[in-house]
Amino acid sequence: MSLLELVQYATLVVLVLDAVGVGTLIVLKAVNRRRRLATERRKREYMRLISRHVAFEYCTDPIPADAARDPAFIDAIIDFRNVLAGSELANLERLISRHGVVRRLIKDLSSPWKVKRLRAAMALAEIGGDETVDVLLAHLDDREPEIRVQAARGLGRIGWTPAIDEIVSRFGRVSPWVRARFADTLIGFGADATWPLVAYVMVNHRHETAGPVAAIRTLAAIGDAQAVKPLMDVLETATDTEVTIAALDALGSLGHPMAAPVMRTAATNPDWRIRAKVVTALGQVGDVGALEVLATALTDESWWVRRNAAAALGAVPGGLDRLYEAVAGDDRFASDAAMEALVDIGELTAARMRMEGGIAAPRDLALISHVEAHA
Amino acid sequence: MTLRTALQWVGYGVFAYFILMQAYILTLNMISAWALRRDHHLNRFGRVTEMLSSRTTPPVTIVIPAFNEEVGIVDAVRSMSLLKYPRFEIVVVNDGSKDGTLQALIDAFRLEKVALPYRPDIETKPVRGLYRGRGAVDITVIDKENGGRADALNAGLNAARYPYVLCTDADVIFEGDALMRAMARVVEDRERTVAVGGNIRPINESEVALGHLIEATVPRRLIPRMQVLEYVRTFLGVRPAWSAINGLPLISGAFGVWRRSIAVAVGGFTPGHFGEDMDMTMKFHRHCRAQGIPNRIMYEPTAVAWTEVPETRRVLRRQRIRWHRGLIQVVREFLPLAFRPRYGVLGMVTWPAIVAFEFLAPIVEFIGWIVIPVAWAIGWLAWEPFLWLLVLAFGMGLLNSLVSLLLDEAHGYFDSKRDTARLLVMAAIENLGFRQLTVWWRIRAMLGGEATKTWGNMERQGFATKTATAPPAPPASSASRP
Repeated sequence: MSLLELVQYATLVVLVLDAVGVGTLIVLKAVNRRRRLATERRKREYMRLISRHVAFEYCTDPIPADAARDPAFIDAIIDFRNVLAGSELANLERLISRHGVVRRLIKDLSSPWKVKRLRAAMALAEIGGDETVDVLLAHLDDREPEIRVQAARGLGRIGWTPAIDEIVSRFGRVSPWVRARFADTLIGFGADATWPLVAYVMVNHRHETAGPVAAIRTLAAIGDAQAVKPLMDVLETATDTEVTIAALDALGSLGHPMAAPVMRTAATNPDWRIRAKVVTALGQVGDVGALEVLATALTDESWWVRRNAAAALGAVPGGLDRLYEAVAGDDRFASDAAMEALVDIGELTAARMRMEGGIAAPRDLALISHVEAHA
Repeated sequence: MTLRTALQWVGYGVFAYFILMQAYILTLNMISAWALRRDHHLNRFGRVTEMLSSRTTPPVTIVIPAFNEEVGIVDAVRSMSLLKYPRFEIVVVNDGSKDGTLQALIDAFRLEKVALPYRPDIETKPVRGLYRGRGAVDITVIDKENGGRADALNAGLNAARYPYVLCTDADVIFEGDALMRAMARVVEDRERTVAVGGNIRPINESEVALGHLIEATVPRRLIPRMQVLEYVRTFLGVRPAWSAINGLPLISGAFGVWRRSIAVAVGGFTPGHFGEDMDMTMKFHRHCRAQGIPNRIMYEPTAVAWTEVPETRRVLRRQRIRWHRGLIQVVREFLPLAFRPRYGVLGMVTWPAIVAFEFLAPIVEFIGWIVIPVAWAIGWLAWEPFLWLLVLAFGMGLLNSLVSLLLDEAHGYFDSKRDTARLLVMAAIENLGFRQLTVWWRIRAMLGGEATKTWGNMERQGFATKTATAPPAPPASSASRP
């Protein structure tokens, strides 16, 4: 075959592919548009029917027998499930049971089709009841990460506390995305998740980073004071910088004064990231005993430590005096950081107003002149 | 060797290059199709709502450089402040505007001048002042001397408080969940994801109200319509493939999320660079690989932002010349990365392919267009093979566009009969003159001269903003490459 013949054949093939492509595009656009419109229409109709059924327990308007197979019906049910309460919710649950929706979704979870499985997992997470617990627990190890996420979400929505240990035990061996979503679920469980998370952190924080760090952040978001003491232990024994930072962050946001002495000991850590976090956390706790530590941190070599220390002083009782002292002091870096914090918390505006009112104190004038000189 | 033999060999060379290039494009299209299909189902189910309600979603700083944006900047900030995202701040950098950009911001967001020490992690033109909003929007405005878009972005990077920074322009309209979808890539793998790019689409002639897209349409005018097709080819047919193999060479300036610590470590955007977005992406690749930082530079096709594209040939020519100048600058700086195993997929696959098929393509194509009339003039043109090849090239171009339009179908834009017809007509006719024109503009960029050294100005027909006056330096807000 000559080169020319080859080109001729290739051209003909490409032109045929072009024709097929044009045809496919036209058909696909028409079909997709029609499908979208049809789904919207069906959903509207289901919404109408469901609204009657939830309003009147003995409503006889017929809902198609195979409605549970239709994603539009499931979508409509989820929309109602999220807004109803009381007798209307009971009516909706009867409707779900009568049409075998949950049974259908559980069956779909075993489908070979990924889309079907994903849709079923998400719907179960929204409308599943106690009867779905075993299925959801089993799918915490599903091969599809998103199905694992939905399984945990469903268990969280049902409030099945035995699932907490199951979710926590998987913290270290799932992807960051799944871990973040598991954390959301655990936060939803609230204080019930505190001890399983604490146990997980205590056992693992010396061997791994990602799992314990996520667990500590989750503890901080739950906000249970029972976690303070264990986190103090973690702070004292941690060897990993990320774990230390997470523990400081959590202790700061938990805000318990009991943690302050342990946190203060970390203020001399050689790692500036830890020092920067310590001063922020001390400010969050509002530890009066930390005034000296924070004032010293104003002269730290790291910009972030100075800035965070100044911000923390703005939040600690008695800290404002230290900031004004630093503004008037000789250390230019400390002075700048203190000035920034004072401006940020509105002291500059207040000082100007006092000056206009003729009641400005010397330190107000010092702050104003310092800011003007700096500008 | 006779002239005839030489012309023959040049012809064979161009033909071989053409075949290789088509194979390259089709391979990218196929990988893109696989990658889009892989992620499509995940994006349909719940990701955005889960992140929105999560307390673990990382906060983001949005940096908007503004140069003479008095008319549109307030709407732009308001539009961005309504993005669906749990925690973010907006930093507007007034890049020495000569109009009332700063005053418009002060009035709209109750800004107060604050005498904060400026943290110059990256060197920029002098900062004249910092302003903080006292209203509901978490906004900081940096007023600085004019230094161009890159310089303004660097000032924004300096002022950013959060670990990830979304760099964009004042004339970009984001879909409500765009930032969330882009950041989902970060949350997926926070350790490795250092940058994420979004999908840019032309908004010309579409319906916009209060900074939001109401209805997208394919433009009636040929020049923007052609660009719709180009953007679809680039953002659906090519970038998903590069992203899937972690070899993305470019995150568009209009929608790029960068990890701040690395952006600072690489020295920020390069001021005066004609392709500062590509330069930044390559710097990220180089830095992470050289320092052994685990890295993933991703593209998220469902994170969509809309922007105006040039309406006239004159503006388009300037834009294309500028883009190619940017590519030339990047190729000059990063050429040593090619075929270096140390730089992984980027060094071994992406970068050589970009140099071979993006940088050199106009030269080879131009040689082809020179050889044909020469051969015809001296009577050596074999008409039959020439015509077959012409039809083949036309057919391949059309096929490439059709594949990308089919990939775009999952997004559900442009599904009216009129829009479909407009796109198909454009796919068929763009090879009849327009493509050759862009080749010529790229050759012009290579030839240099005064026309290629100026930045040029994006003239907007506008949903909110109007044409800016000529800036003394590259404007802070200019259309970014696709």
